[in-house]
Amino acid sequence: MTAASTAAAAATLPRPGPWGIGRYEVAGQLVYFEVSWGDWQRDVAWARAMLADHGVGPGVGPGSGLVIVSGMPESPWFDPFETAARELGAPYSIGEIYAFEAFRTGMYARRLPITLIFGIDRTVAEGLGDELAAVVARVPTIVARPDAAGLLAAAGARPFIVARVGPALAVECPHRSGAHLNDAEWTLAERGGELFLSTAGPRAHQVREAPLGLRGTLTEGPCGCGRSGQRVTIPEGK
Amino acid sequence: MPDERFFEPEIETMPRAGIAALQEERILELVPHVYERSALVRKKWEEARVKPSDVNSLADFTERVPFITKDDIRQFRDRAQDPFGGLLCTDYADTTTVFSTSGTTGDATLYAHAWNRWHPFWAATARDLWEIGVRPGDYVLGSGFKMRGPLYHADHMVGAIPVLVNTGIGGWATALDAIRRYRPVYAQLTGLALAELDRLSRTTDMRELFSSFKGAAFAGEPLGARAREQLESWGVEVYLWTSTGDVTGAWECGQHDGCHAWEDCVLLESVDPAATTPATSAAVADGELGELVATSLDNPVTPMVRFRSDDIIRMTKQPCACGRTHARFWPVGRKGDETIVAGRSFVPMDIWRALEGVPETSTALFQLVRPAREIDELRVRVGYDPDTTTSVPDLRDRVSEAITAAVGVPPVLELLPEPELLARGRGGKLPRVVKA
Repeated sequence: MTAASTAAAAATLPRPGPWGIGRYEVAGQLVYFEVSWGDWQRDVAWARAMLADHGVGPGVGPGSGLVIVSGMPESPWFDPFETAARELGAPYSIGEIYAFEAFRTGMYARRLPITLIFGIDRTVAEGLGDELAAVVARVPTIVARPDAAGLLAAAGARPFIVARVGPALAVECPHRSGAHLNDAEWTLAERGGELFLSTAGPRAHQVREAPLGLRGTLTEGPCGCGRSGQRVTIPEGK
Repeated sequence: MPDERFFEPEIETMPRAGIAALQEERILELVPHVYERSALVRKKWEEARVKPSDVNSLADFTERVPFITKDDIRQFRDRAQDPFGGLLCTDYADTTTVFSTSGTTGDATLYAHAWNRWHPFWAATARDLWEIGVRPGDYVLGSGFKMRGPLYHADHMVGAIPVLVNTGIGGWATALDAIRRYRPVYAQLTGLALAELDRLSRTTDMRELFSSFKGAAFAGEPLGARAREQLESWGVEVYLWTSTGDVTGAWECGQHDGCHAWEDCVLLESVDPAATTPATSAAVADGELGELVATSLDNPVTPMVRFRSDDIIRMTKQPCACGRTHARFWPVGRKGDETIVAGRSFVPMDIWRALEGVPETSTALFQLVRPAREIDELRVRVGYDPDTTTSVPDLRDRVSEAITAAVGVPPVLELLPEPELLARGRGGKLPRVVKA
């Protein structure tokens, strides 16, 4: 079969570089970051654990339908969650983050037994227009970007939060005590309400107290989910 | 194992007899599989009084098996309340991904795959990237959309490193920074991207910018002559690619003499566009105009079976000068795109060429507003470059003149700044024929 033969050919090739290059912006400055294959594998493992906590009943698993709302350039943050969904046996679809693509998130929610929308932002929430309330009514769990939280709440949802924090992703668990950072990989500091990021793990992208151009507050100490790392709360609109 | 020239030499240069034997083997596996599992296939076959036992060869398949159209899928979906339109051959829970078509011509069609590691839709694309010259360790601009899944899987398959930055609408200004920094060898372009690059070319040395490129792929809609010339003037070798009936992609090789359909992945037919049943259809002759009909040979989850794509093509099974033996085709347009206004017939490409000749509309961003195939009034929505347009009334006169010369009928024009028209795009494409 074609997929099998091309995969066999691909397996013979070296992969001399990293998994990919991502980019984020701090105060108008572009910051590039490398994601090594090792980084990506650890990100997938963390995403798997975070996804397993979400959804309905026992969490995301075989048969849970997901819509992951993200754009191609966000793949360094969201691909690990796509891969984790696959590894958990949860079928997933992609809703792009552009206004003209909002219909796709609505279409999946309307046609498929979706149990979790992960990553919906304000652009897509607004783009859904009148359909947003129906999406909220149909889908039991929504994990939204901070800028969409208010719109979703107004439509009747009680969303959890997922936020891009520089090169990292923070995801709220069902205990709602702020969005967890993978503390084996990253550490945040807060000064005057501004967030600064340091690398904690063996990542290709090493930063120390790098400003993120983001405001937020940190919560330390144990969370009800059993994790003990930092949680971050990003104000709506970021 | 890949060699210097081909990613899968044995498959890509397989003799035609070998391709036919491989296809027959896969078709004979597919026939009972879909009959037992695909509700739409069973319905269509029962209506046509075809049973799996009637199909014992590739010839039986193309002579007896009924076509399936996009309308068949939509009607089944609406009547049976089946999101997959009767195409799904497994439980939803057994799928890995459910993606969808662009939806430019109506409600998007869902298709699903079950996979591990590399998404199957992009698997054969590794062969095409290899042909462009992408090699392990090369950086590539990881552009495009994800509605059909992660295109960067093909980048990873050939060992390349995707640089994942925004190349959507409004993103190219900062994408240039990534090109300068990483010197990628390849990017994926769309018509909407070209409009943006056209504007950036006024302040950027595009030849220097693209000097690291081995090629760029272009898909989603036809590439106008002016756009191709412009890309070539920047030193970019353009590789067109298109969909084969939503089964997989078909890309040009370095000969630029048709798009290669990977026939181990798709059974490609070109049939008389007017034919409605296999009995009245005849495969059109090599090189003649026909409608692309596709059957999935490598997707047991939502296989298309004799799917009428509405795409009008010319196809040949003659070997390509590149050494590949798989069929090639040249997209010509969409069935039904031909429009008759005041007794005169034209296709959207006629308007395209006319607009390319007017500097302020040379990116040819337009929509033909057509409630029906035969219309009394030629209504065209045209995007213009606000930075170079000094007088909209003057522009209106020149655009009107150009379209009248091309089509023979004066248009009723709606002129919009390009960004406003671009906002009506979907999935990287601007629908060229719209109802309103």
